[in-house]
Amino acid sequence: MEATTYNYKVVRQFAIMTVVWGIVGMLVGVILAAQLIWPDLTFGIEYLSYGRLRPLHTNAVIFAFGGSAMFAVSYYIVQRTCQVRLWAEKLAAFTFWGWTLVIVLAAITLPMGYTSSKEYAELEWPIDLLITVVWVAYALVFFGTIIKRKTKHIYVSNWFFGAYILVIAILHIVNSMELPVTLTKSYSMYAGVQDAMIQWWYGHNAVGFFLTTAFLGMMYYFIPKQAGRPIYSYRLSVVHFWSLNFIYMWAGPHHLQYTALPDWAQSLGMVFSLMLLAPSWGGMMNGIMTLSGAWHKLRTDPILKFMVTALSFYGMSTFEGPMMSIKTVNALSHYTEWTIGHVHSGALGWVAMITIGSMYYLIPRLFGRESMFSTKLIEWHFWLSTIGVVLYIAALWIAGVTQGLMWRAANADGTLTYSFAQVVNTMYPFYGIRLVGGAMFFSGMLIMAYNVWQTTRLGRAVNDAAIPQAVHA
Amino acid sequence: MDSGLISGIVTAIFIVVFIGIVWWAYSRGNKQAFEDAGRLPFEEDNAPNSEGDKK
Repeated sequence: MEATTYNYKVVRQFAIMTVVWGIVGMLVGVILAAQLIWPDLTFGIEYLSYGRLRPLHTNAVIFAFGGSAMFAVSYYIVQRTCQVRLWAEKLAAFTFWGWTLVIVLAAITLPMGYTSSKEYAELEWPIDLLITVVWVAYALVFFGTIIKRKTKHIYVSNWFFGAYILVIAILHIVNSMELPVTLTKSYSMYAGVQDAMIQWWYGHNAVGFFLTTAFLGMMYYFIPKQAGRPIYSYRLSVVHFWSLNFIYMWAGPHHLQYTALPDWAQSLGMVFSLMLLAPSWGGMMNGIMTLSGAWHKLRTDPILKFMVTALSFYGMSTFEGPMMSIKTVNALSHYTEWTIGHVHSGALGWVAMITIGSMYYLIPRLFGRESMFSTKLIEWHFWLSTIGVVLYIAALWIAGVTQGLMWRAANADGTLTYSFAQVVNTMYPFYGIRLVGGAMFFSGMLIMAYNVWQTTRLGRAVNDAAIPQAVHA
Repeated sequence: MDSGLISGIVTAIFIVVFIGIVWWAYSRGNKQAFEDAGRLPFEEDNAPNSEGDKK
């Protein structure tokens, strides 16, 4: 029998967990920022030391917050633009519980110090296997739904999601090739510069396909919906999709400038990073131009403000990134706070803000309501986040450039002008501003949680939403 | 075959593929199809024309 409803239950579960994990992940981030100023903040408790909390922070914000958001919106969008109910719903339910289990295991093992020490892939091999199983289930549900679609075309968001699911599967499997020694310890199959290259092929494509491609799919659905008009140029979005996918794959070596990596690979990484500017800005323009003729909505609609600000940060960080990949710029910027500033301009400014905007659109609909409990609180959240990110990245720009210049400063006799501790000392005021910016962004998330909680109280959870077309037919 | 020749060939293939994609995206024959696809998020409340094209 043909289903006449959409599955909203799994979407709702992931959407709520997006807010929860967002708060957890960003709280850990705020603690880390404070630890840089007060190293004894956590009383020397090993489980709360900087080295163990740092991977917890990155995993929580990328895979718990960002990952849950992607599951929620991809399940929502694939159903609504294919006009069919999810394929294999039991598998979809499994992805929710499986992914949540991965996150809980990460939250236990990382503070305990179990790590494979690969950046953004620190989880040990049993968890890696669980991730693989969950991801395969995800792919089956997603592509199964695409296959049974009622519409002729596959909407561009689904192309972006499809690429994201496929590439993350490849990246995860190749990068996580490891030899288990015990239940909690494994060693990478790769060694030396090959290991570094595989690591950053993975690491940069995690940025490219997890934090960019996936969230562009989100952008291509929710911006048109919230603005009430189709995407500015669908054809541009097609070119955007293919060129982004072709180019991103090769940009990873820019993380390894001036290392033992062969020179040609370093230059390749730089050239492809520079080329990335074109599709990135094409996509940004496409999103922003969707509002042409509807600019007035930007004045009154804080959800659109979130989305358009997210695109602006996307444009900024995709300009900054290629610039930082140029070898001479990289010689100054690499290993400094500038890099952390750049990452957060992308992660908070782009990923978090497009997610927050989309969740404000999505969550009321999952509870049978037209809008969130309070629009005024969304406005507050918007300003807290925006000012928070600007403080954060401005502080780290100055800190990073200062740091880079101090490190390279040399006396006439060739000795270094500044000791390492002197440079650390200079960082204090900037770490302070960064903590304030991060705390502002975090407090915005608490306002969101309150707003979401009130919305769920006023509304009623929708498990199955009618498919208009099926009713019509 | 030296690496310079290989990278030359690869670059040429990439350029051809890219031009092909742009040509495909902007060709007149596909205009309507892409416009239809672009309206998909809004074709929820009235039944789409393409109904029945896929079973």
